[in-house]
Amino acid sequence: MRIAVCVKHAVDETELKIDSGGKPLLSGATSRMSTFDKNAVEEGLRLKAAHQGEVVIFTVGPSDSKKTMKEALAMGADKGVLVTADTTSIDTMRTASLLAAAIKKAGPFDVVLCSEGSSDTYSGQVPPMLGEMLGAAFTGYARKLEVNGQTARVERSLEDSLEVVEAPLPVVASVVSEINEPRYPTLIQIMQAGKKPLEELNGDQLQPAGAYRQASVVSMSAQQSARKHVMIEGSPDEAAAKLVEALIREGVLSK
Amino acid sequence: MSGAVWSYSENESVSNEVASAAADVAKGASAEPVVLEIGAVRAGVRAPGAKLLLKGPATSDVPPEVAAEAIAKASKQLQPAAILIGATRYGREIASRLAVKLTVGCLSEVSKLSADGNALAGERNAFAGKVVAKVSCALPAIATVKVGYYAAVESAGTAVTESDVGQVNPLVKVVSREKKAAGAVDLRSAKVIVSAGRGVKKKEDLPMLEELAREMHGALGCSRPLSSDLGWLPEEHHIGLTGVTVKPDLYLALGISGQLQHTAGMKDSKVVAAVNTDKDAPIFQASDYGIVGDLYQIVPAIRKALASRR
Repeated sequence: MRIAVCVKHAVDETELKIDSGGKPLLSGATSRMSTFDKNAVEEGLRLKAAHQGEVVIFTVGPSDSKKTMKEALAMGADKGVLVTADTTSIDTMRTASLLAAAIKKAGPFDVVLCSEGSSDTYSGQVPPMLGEMLGAAFTGYARKLEVNGQTARVERSLEDSLEVVEAPLPVVASVVSEINEPRYPTLIQIMQAGKKPLEELNGDQLQPAGAYRQASVVSMSAQQSARKHVMIEGSPDEAAAKLVEALIREGVLSK
Repeated sequence: MSGAVWSYSENESVSNEVASAAADVAKGASAEPVVLEIGAVRAGVRAPGAKLLLKGPATSDVPPEVAAEAIAKASKQLQPAAILIGATRYGREIASRLAVKLTVGCLSEVSKLSADGNALAGERNAFAGKVVAKVSCALPAIATVKVGYYAAVESAGTAVTESDVGQVNPLVKVVSREKKAAGAVDLRSAKVIVSAGRGVKKKEDLPMLEELAREMHGALGCSRPLSSDLGWLPEEHHIGLTGVTVKPDLYLALGISGQLQHTAGMKDSKVVAAVNTDKDAPIFQASDYGIVGDLYQIVPAIRKALASRR
């Protein structure tokens, strides 16, 4: 079985600094593998363990994304394909079309996995776009995934229901983090990851931009928070009484 | 801008919210908001204005692959200026598929939508709510609309026109669909949310917090570890980036550290109060009122204080 896993080298939101003018300092910000992508890599490795084959990691991003790809390779993936592009200026559809082109070039694949959304922008658009572009079945928010012969059986976790679906291979699926517990690579695996094949493709050469107007970010500013930050002191009984009093005064607690 | 602004959600109440967004976009532009229905008109879809029924699918209960194909077919024929879809788990798939089928740009998780000249403009959160981004896409455009942001406007008896989109044969077959565990909470409509985090030591302690939520006429929510990692509460209690987004009058965070991925789901609450043993916990930065203390002492004290006021 050939398994493709798409991962994103995303700005670590916990480390992101804001300048004195209230603008996020994106250039030079620390990036790492988008949090939920580890679950997609883990699920790819789990499928490989059950069905043999190989796991290929795909990323669209700057050259620095190799760090994230090496982390996926250290977890156990076999090789990586990096499509270089300036991810600060492209939209979800352009990202998906670059991934689709790279996956087609290295294909065919039986299963293509993504996480439900990236930790930086959390659009959740690239996985279904990929399904459309590859002409493959797509199913999102998988919390369980099994392949039997040429059919994938997926439990989808929706807001208020659980849905079981079946789809023919090839299938593109996005996974939720409940699907598994990602492994930690060992020191030896981390050292060996540097020796695994990592191909680099230029995005513009791989796939020229499509004939549509891309969605764009016009400006970014820090979220304004106007919280009161009142710390209530005293014994548990005193503090609790003061809190309840304050909440009633705020009009958010009925007596 | 001319033409129609379409709105759709598979969820009836979200459909009414997205219709409000479409009305905002259409306002001030020579456009008409149109509510889409697929298969059948649903009783709970009560937004004012025109409705367009896409006939073909047998019922209104259509999977996202079918919805996207039906809307794409109608769109190629009728050429709307913009299509707004509720950003539910189904909705994100519908909008993304539509963008590819129609080759038009797609905004995501947007609020404050408007028509800006020849573009669709709005705002969205980024970096787990640390940043607000203004976004834009030239028309024709698609957007997924943030759930829980727009108020639904209801009115009855609107004109329905029909468009036949024919049969759609999806690749993905739905084998079964079942509601998640009974007693499911509706956190999005709760005025008060008591929310539990890792400060809760064992599952058996949750009834104490459920009692508190009941006494406050509220609902019980939790941070991701309690639902996803520990499985102490069903997934629909999970508040955060990948869970539910809420904005109650009061959000009481008990033993929640306040990582960005959690606060992304509750930062629009009117008043936030937090109890945590760690005085440096980031939740206090996102709170109006904070108590540094053990929830096992503070919760009984709050319940006592509430009881003494009755």
